[in-house]
Amino acid sequence: MNNELTCAGKSFYHLHAAHCESGVTAALFRDRGVDLSEAMAFGIGSGIFFGHLPFVKWVGLPITTYRSRPGTLFSKVARRLGGEFVTKKYYKFPWKADRTKEGMDDLRLLLRSGNIVGMTTNIYWLSYFPDRFRFQFNGHNIIVLREIENGFRVADPVLDHPVDCLTEDLERARFARGPLEPKGYMYYAKSVNPNPDFRKACITAMKDSCNMMLRTPFPFVGLMGIRYLAKATIKSPQVLGVREARRRLANIVRMQEEVGTGGAGFRFMYAAFLQQAAALFGCAELAGLSQEMTSIGDIWREFAIVSARVIKERGSQEETFAKAGGLMLICAGKEEQFFRDLDSAVGKLKA
Amino acid sequence: MKVSEVPQDITYYDGEKRACYALDDKGNYVVVTSTGWETEAIVNELAVEDLAAILEETRKAVLAGAKSPLCYYMELRQMNPEILGKTAGIAVFRVKRHFRPEIFSRLKPSVLKRYARALAVSMEELQTVPQPPKGR
Repeated sequence: MNNELTCAGKSFYHLHAAHCESGVTAALFRDRGVDLSEAMAFGIGSGIFFGHLPFVKWVGLPITTYRSRPGTLFSKVARRLGGEFVTKKYYKFPWKADRTKEGMDDLRLLLRSGNIVGMTTNIYWLSYFPDRFRFQFNGHNIIVLREIENGFRVADPVLDHPVDCLTEDLERARFARGPLEPKGYMYYAKSVNPNPDFRKACITAMKDSCNMMLRTPFPFVGLMGIRYLAKATIKSPQVLGVREARRRLANIVRMQEEVGTGGAGFRFMYAAFLQQAAALFGCAELAGLSQEMTSIGDIWREFAIVSARVIKERGSQEETFAKAGGLMLICAGKEEQFFRDLDSAVGKLKA
Repeated sequence: MKVSEVPQDITYYDGEKRACYALDDKGNYVVVTSTGWETEAIVNELAVEDLAAILEETRKAVLAGAKSPLCYYMELRQMNPEILGKTAGIAVFRVKRHFRPEIFSRLKPSVLKRYARALAVSMEELQTVPQPPKGR
């Protein structure tokens, strides 16, 4: 059921992925004969991250993100593995008010010439998702395989099988307006290096991730971001009142578990990447770090469970905001140690 | 997380499954599908209920004549005036003004058409809000 045909009659094997962007990136590379797993794509794209942006509001709540900004993962993988991709965006000009038709025609043309096309969409208008997962978020990546009768065959990496999407839905999703608007953004491979240098790419990527987490001089991202959020969470019932604090905490967990597969999911995915990297380099240190990352992910999950109890007011005696924030501080401490270790381990690796 | 710990509590994704990375018996990472996690359901339900409560309030306000149906459909689509204004190509201050029923009722069909297109509802639907299901 996961074997699909593209427009050119080539077979496409759909792999279920935990995250949309890494899944799409890996699939585009696999389609060109490079064996790239999702976890590897996530690692090479330096997808792991943390950021809490109290001043950027999304449905009235601050944004917490556990991965890098949408779009960067794909471009980093393409650059580091030597893939040449064509990207297209449809900017609006006063003399060209509506470019929806142009965008859809270009897509059809590309599909007919045998490409599979990755694109950024708004998740609300993709009606094949269950209703409760549809919200205005302009950063969901999918792959379009071929055109079918009044629609397109779409490989959504988050689902375990390809689905049909109505033309109308796809139009709306691609040209949705609002924050981070996709503007019909789409990308397809022009040429891909058949034998990429994985070792070099991994080293660059791990260094990049360490820099982002450890050395960002900005208090809301990286480890400082986790600590900032932890302290804010502990204080939140006094500052915001219990009801609002509960909403904020729910939003943090929601961002962690729901939106783009979440923090713990990303931590486990990074651990999977480290495991593959350890095999690639034959390095025991990386294997140890992979286990370390797994245990960090487990704490993030525990944080989610404790938070859910706080939100539901179950066992209100021992499960408090302070405990949830405390778990986050533990995560921050462990992640700091982890990234410092990774930093020194990477220094010893040779491409 | 081990394979045995991958949450299978509830069927939360309407028959769909979500991929999770977990360790198998030999300590290798594999992708396992999950049918749903209770924790996730709790936090998501809170957000969904929040939205539903606001929507219901707006619906009542429309029936009471305090707001226009436009406001209801905007919230139904989880938009705000900024997103709706951009999608329909109408200035935000006008969108907000059109939330007033007396002004909304005097709108030209051309403007209504743009709203209907932006919100993916028909022109007839845009004139009224759905009544509550009977028996409640």
